[in-house]
Amino acid sequence: MTISTTALSVIVIIATLVATLTPILLIALFIRDWKKGCLW
Amino acid sequence: MTGLDDPILPTSIAWGLLAAFSVLWVVLGWWLGRHNKTAEDHMLAGRNVGLALATATAMATWVTANTTMTAPQLALQLGVWGMLGYSLGALGLILFAPLARRIRELMPAGFTSGDFIRLRYGKFTWRVFLVVSLIYAFGWLVSMAMAGGVLINALAGIDYRVGMTVILTVCVLYTLLGGLRAVIGTDFIQTVIIIAGAAFIAWLTIDKVGFEAIHFNLMEERPELLNLLFPAAIMFLFNNLLFGVGEIFHSNVWWSRAFAFGRNVGFRAYLFGGLLWLPIPIVAGFIALATPALGINVPAADMVGPLVAAEVLGLTGAIVVFIVVFAALASSLDSLLAATSDLVTRDIYRGHIRPHASEQHQFRATKVIVVLLGLVTWLAASYRGELPIVGSLAELLYFTGAFVASAIWPIVAGLYWQRANPQGAAWSMILGSGIGLASYFLIGFYVAALVGAAVSLAVMVLSTWLMPRPFDWGRLARPDGEVPA
Repeated sequence: MTISTTALSVIVIIATLVATLTPILLIALFIRDWKKGCLW
Repeated sequence: MTGLDDPILPTSIAWGLLAAFSVLWVVLGWWLGRHNKTAEDHMLAGRNVGLALATATAMATWVTANTTMTAPQLALQLGVWGMLGYSLGALGLILFAPLARRIRELMPAGFTSGDFIRLRYGKFTWRVFLVVSLIYAFGWLVSMAMAGGVLINALAGIDYRVGMTVILTVCVLYTLLGGLRAVIGTDFIQTVIIIAGAAFIAWLTIDKVGFEAIHFNLMEERPELLNLLFPAAIMFLFNNLLFGVGEIFHSNVWWSRAFAFGRNVGFRAYLFGGLLWLPIPIVAGFIALATPALGINVPAADMVGPLVAAEVLGLTGAIVVFIVVFAALASSLDSLLAATSDLVTRDIYRGHIRPHASEQHQFRATKVIVVLLGLVTWLAASYRGELPIVGSLAELLYFTGAFVASAIWPIVAGLYWQRANPQGAAWSMILGSGIGLASYFLIGFYVAALVGAAVSLAVMVLSTWLMPRPFDWGRLARPDGEVPA
């Protein structure tokens, strides 16, 4: 049972998209925590 | 064509990057920890870490050099299941989320995982747990230091001992200066660097090679890598899953964070951290599948990631890989140094040598212990510091699989079963580790964690069923309270 090109590309593109957005999400959370004074 | 005989990054550039990032981490560590006044500040960063830093530190610590280097290696050896199986390591973080909340509720003043075992199960089980936990922590520390030296040598041609010494010294310095606050603060920046770097390389590989070419060339040259019923890969998936859960459930690296995160933060931080960590091994691993399409000759499987990056991106790729690997190494080494020194300070020094040590005394002791840990790790990593030990890094980690998996059920039962038997908890770790190790030698590395967890579960369930011991949860709220014998 071989994975198709489409299935492989869907898995990899979703994973890469999430990974690309993660730093942005973390920085947004950081700014939110900083503004609320709850970084630490 | 790039090969291991030619480092992918010029040594002068590598030294520049090492120097720049070393200064950044040490200065940041000092700055973050400059207001630490007590052992609690130093060990637990004030117990009120917010969601952003908490999520990032959970992710950064779980992204080791293994994730960035071994995920491509597994994709090359085990195909699609190799990278998917590795990404299931995220389940350890996700499953720890409810435990983190429970730990914070039951032990608002706790310091270490050892505190929990001592109060919950008594001194005998505590000592058994400390042996299990310290064997694992030291094994991981030494393997990380060794990986640092090996990777820096392979990427930039810097001598193994020099590279290993630089990375270990930098991590010891900023952990010493800033404690957990420095570790968590640097982890945030390291997480952003690691994930952005891995995603950057993945997008460019997709753009330059394309899925059609990757799939076509794999079908021609290595069709088994696209096989979804690859037996060795499926076996690896289950072993890796249990190993990851065992590592996270018992290790003080994760417990110290559960104590340090603010109220109501731990659950969300571990859940988000796990979900966001899930795609990283796929992103880091997938590029290895492009090797047939790129016509790359891979002389050592664990160097496939840097080789593909250098082939696709040239010097820029080599620089990105070097920075990502340095950040991944530092983010795990610093956490291990901090958490292990806390465990040694609280459970060995204060627990066994100076029971009446004051807060200030512990504050000083934890700093001395970080330095000593660094020295012992350096000695062990230097002694094993010949390049052919790369294979033994994996062997060392799999060896500890029996220990960590045997600690899963005593931890879970201790947190949720009011009648869990303390002697049963000790014997579940002893028998789980012993029989798990026997199976490692008699059957194979891939069953050590599985057998260790199964034996431990059986002992824990049987002992609690036959000899239940009621427990007062309130006792956990007083970490210095009376301890059962």
